[in-house]
Amino acid sequence: MIQITGLTKAYRRGRPPALLDLSFDARPGMVTVLLGDEGAGKTTALRLMVELERGHGLTLFDGRTYRRIRRPEREIGVLLASGRPEAGHPGQRARAHLRMLAGAVGVPARRADDLLEQTRLAGVADHRIGTFSPGMHRRLALAAALLGNPSTLLLDAPTEGLSPGNEEWFGAFLRSFALSGGTVLVTTRAPGEAAALADRVVTLDAGRLAADQPVVEFRRTRLHPEVLVRGPQMARLADLLVAQGGQVRRDGGAGLAVSGIDRTEIGELAYRHGILLHELSDRVVERPVSYPSALPSGSGRSGQVAVRTVRQGQRQGQRPDQQQGQGQHQEPATGRAEPDGRAADPGERRPATVGRPAGPEPGRQLDHRGLQAGRWAAAALAPNPPAQVQAPSRAQGQVQQVQAAPVPAPTPPVQAPPPIPASTVDLTRRTPRGASALSRSTARATGTGATGTGVTGTGAAEPTAAEAAAGAEVPGAEPGAPGGERPARPDGVGALPGPGTVDAEHLAANPTDAELLTPARIRGVGHQPAPVRPFPGRPWSAEPTGLRPSGRTEHTERAERTGRTEQAGPAEPVRRPRESGEPGEPGEPAEPVDPQGTARRSAVGDEDGSE
Amino acid sequence: MTVRVVASEVRRLRGVRSTWVVVAGALLVNAAVAAFTAARLPDGELAVPDAVRAVAAVVPFLPLPLTALAAAVLGALSYGNETRWPGLPASRVTLGRRLGALLAKSSVVGAAAALLAVLTLGVDALAAWSALPAGVDASAVLHPSGLSSVPFAAPFAAGGPGRPLVAFVVLAVAGGWAGLLITSLVRSAVVGILLTGALPALLEPTAGLLLHRTGRNWPVWVRELVPFQYGLDLVRDAADRTAGALDGVVVVALLAPAALLVLAALLAQLRRRSL
Repeated sequence: MIQITGLTKAYRRGRPPALLDLSFDARPGMVTVLLGDEGAGKTTALRLMVELERGHGLTLFDGRTYRRIRRPEREIGVLLASGRPEAGHPGQRARAHLRMLAGAVGVPARRADDLLEQTRLAGVADHRIGTFSPGMHRRLALAAALLGNPSTLLLDAPTEGLSPGNEEWFGAFLRSFALSGGTVLVTTRAPGEAAALADRVVTLDAGRLAADQPVVEFRRTRLHPEVLVRGPQMARLADLLVAQGGQVRRDGGAGLAVSGIDRTEIGELAYRHGILLHELSDRVVERPVSYPSALPSGSGRSGQVAVRTVRQGQRQGQRPDQQQGQGQHQEPATGRAEPDGRAADPGERRPATVGRPAGPEPGRQLDHRGLQAGRWAAAALAPNPPAQVQAPSRAQGQVQQVQAAPVPAPTPPVQAPPPIPASTVDLTRRTPRGASALSRSTARATGTGATGTGVTGTGAAEPTAAEAAAGAEVPGAEPGAPGGERPARPDGVGALPGPGTVDAEHLAANPTDAELLTPARIRGVGHQPAPVRPFPGRPWSAEPTGLRPSGRTEHTERAERTGRTEQAGPAEPVRRPRESGEPGEPGEPAEPVDPQGTARRSAVGDEDGSE
Repeated sequence: MTVRVVASEVRRLRGVRSTWVVVAGALLVNAAVAAFTAARLPDGELAVPDAVRAVAAVVPFLPLPLTALAAAVLGALSYGNETRWPGLPASRVTLGRRLGALLAKSSVVGAAAALLAVLTLGVDALAAWSALPAGVDASAVLHPSGLSSVPFAAPFAAGGPGRPLVAFVVLAVAGGWAGLLITSLVRSAVVGILLTGALPALLEPTAGLLLHRTGRNWPVWVRELVPFQYGLDLVRDAADRTAGALDGVVVVALLAPAALLVLAALLAQLRRRSL
C-alpha cells in the first residue's frame, strides 16, 4: 500500500512546478499506472517517492516513508530510468553485476542466479552487460530491483522503447506480481499500454493529477477506437461512411480515420461499392481528459473542501448510474466524480428501472480492488471452469452480436468481472447494444458518434425497455441477461433464482454473464468488443490491437475459439433467411442475433481475407 | 551487513575489466621505468637512495608515483562507476548507507592500493636487479654482510631503504583514497583522476610554506620518493636539509589536506540523496 499525499516539486523563480499536489493510492494486488506525456512529472513523482529528490509531500509505504524503512530493498523494488540504457557497467558480466548488487542488498548470491532465471537472462548471464539489448538491460534492471524479494515495485517507464515482445513480457510479469499480492506502480507514456496493464490509471498532465480512474473507466472515457482505412478511393468511401453515420477525418495522405463504424462494416461497405482498400486496421487513440466542469482532481485526502461538496452532491444523484448504466465500480474513497456521468444521467436511468427490479443491492461492495483481484484470479487459476470454459462455447451468439454492433463508438467498459454478482453491472449496456445490431439503421439514426457514453446508454436502454415490455422480467441479479440469449436457453427465464442467490454455480449453469464477459476480457480493450476473426485457425495475436492481456487467458481463448467454431456451423443456415427477411427491427428481441453474427462473420471473412 | 557491502565492493572491483587493465598497465610501466633507471645507474657501489629510487620507479616529473596514480584511478573508478551506473538507484538515499558505502569503498580501494604497491615493489625490484649494469656493486643493498654504513638489521633507520618503501606503500594507499574522495566530490571519474593528479602540485606549496614558517624541512626521503617540483623550491634554502624524523609539524602538514578532503567529502554526502 503506497499512499502518496501532496507530492510537490516546485522550482524557484517562477518556473512552473514539475509536480503539484499529487495524491493517490497504490493498493496491493493492483497495478497502478502513472500515465502522462513527456514532462508530465512521472519520473519526478517516482524520485520524490523514494526521496531521491527534495520536494514536498509525503509518500508512505505501509505507513513509513522510504527513508524510515530499515532495508528498503527488501520491501520496495525500484527501477528508475537513468539517462543511460545500460543496467550496469558495460564491462561487467550480468551475473557478477547481480551478485554484486545482492551483496549490497544483503541477500545471498544464490538469489541473483534465481533472478537471472526468472528474467530469462540465465543464458546470457556470463556475458558482458555492454552486449545486451535494451530489453535485456531492462530485464536485468528489473532483476536487480527484485533482488530483495520486495512486495512493492516502483518502475519508471519499464517498457519505454522496448520491443513488443519484451513489453508483453513485462506486462505479464507485472500482472502476475500484482496477482500474487504485490503493489505495482508503473509509469508509462502509452495509454494503450496503460489500458492493457493497469488496474488503475492515474493520469498526470503537466505535473497535475488529471484523472484517477479504474481501468474500465479509463478505457471508456479516455481511449477512443478508430479504424484506419487507406486506399486510392478514399473520398468516395468517406462519403459512404458519413452517410452511414460514421465520423471521418483525414489521416495522412490517403488515409481515413473512421470512428463510429467498426472495421468489418467498413470492409463490407467498401466491398459492396467496389472500393479498393489497401489498409483496414483498428487502432486506439487517446482522448484528453475532458471534464464538464471543474471536477475534483485530488483523491479527497488533500483537503480540498470544494471537492467534497461536489462529490457528495454528485454521488447522490449518480448512484444508480454508477452501478447500473455505466458499469463502473468506483471506489468511494477516492471520490472521483464520473466525468460524463451527468450527461448520461437521463439515459441511464431507464435501464436502472427496467433491468433491475430493486435498487442497488446494499451488500454489494463496489471495491475495485477486490474486483480486480478476483478478475485476475479467475483468469489465472480458473477456479470455476464451467463458468469460464463452457461459457464461451455458448456465447457465440452474443459475441457475434456484439461484434455486429453498428456503433462501437466510445467503448463500453469491457471489464471482465469475476463471476460474482458485482459483475453484472456491465451487462445491461452491452446486451442492448448487441441487440441493436439488428436495428443498424435506427441505431445509426440516433447519431451515436464518438461523443460519449450518454448516447450509448440511451441506445442501450431502448431494447431493454422493449424486452421488458415483452413481458420477460429479468431478475435483478442478472440484469445483463440478454434478451437474445433467452430463446437459446433450455431452462427458460422462470428458472432463474432470485437476486441474492446468484453465485458461481448459478453462472455455471446459466452462463450468460460469464460468456458475455469472457471475450471482453480476452479483448482487453473495449473499443472493439467484436473479435473479428475471419478464420478460426488464425491466432489471436494476429489481431491488430495488441492490447489484450497476454498469456493469462489462453485457455479461455482457446475454449472460446473452439466454441465458436462449433456453433458457427449449425446456427448459420437455419437463421439466415429470417435475418435477411427483417434486417432492421429495433425492438426485436435478439433472437436472430446469433445467426446474424455468424452470418456476418462468414460474410466478412472474405473481405478480411483480402485485406 | 558491512561485510556484505565490502564483499560487494570487492565484486565490483573484480568484475570490471578496467581494474585489471589498470593493474597490468601499472605493473608494466613500473617495471620498465625501474629497469631503465637501474640500467642508467653509474658504476661503483650502489647507494641506498639510488636503489630506492630505482625500485620505486620514480619518474621525476610526475606529481605522484605511478603506483599511486594507478591506485587513484582505481578509487576514482570505483566511485565513478557507481554514480554512472547505479545498479540500485534508490538504495543510497539515507546518509548512513552512503557513508557505509564510502567506507566500504575506501577500505577496498585502500587494500587494493596496498596490494598493488607491494606487488609493484616486488616486480620493480626484479626488473631493476635484472637490469643492473655489470659495473654496479649492489652488495651494499642486497647483502647485509657487506654493509658498511647501513646495518641491514635496521632497515627502518634514518638512512635505510625500509622507510622510503613504506612511505611508497602509504603514498599509494593515500593516492587511492584521494582518487575516491575527490571523485565523490565531483562525481566523475575522469575529473577525479585529473584532480588527483593535480592535487600534490596544489597542496605542496602550502605544506612547504607551513614547514618553512616553522623552520623545518621535508624529510629527505619524502623528497626522494616524491619528486615535487614546485614547493621544494620554496624550502630549498632552509638550513637543515637532513631532517629525517617525523615530528608533529610535518605530520600535520601532511595530514591537514587529507583531513580537509575527508571533511569535504562528508559534507558533500550530507547534502546529497545519492552517491
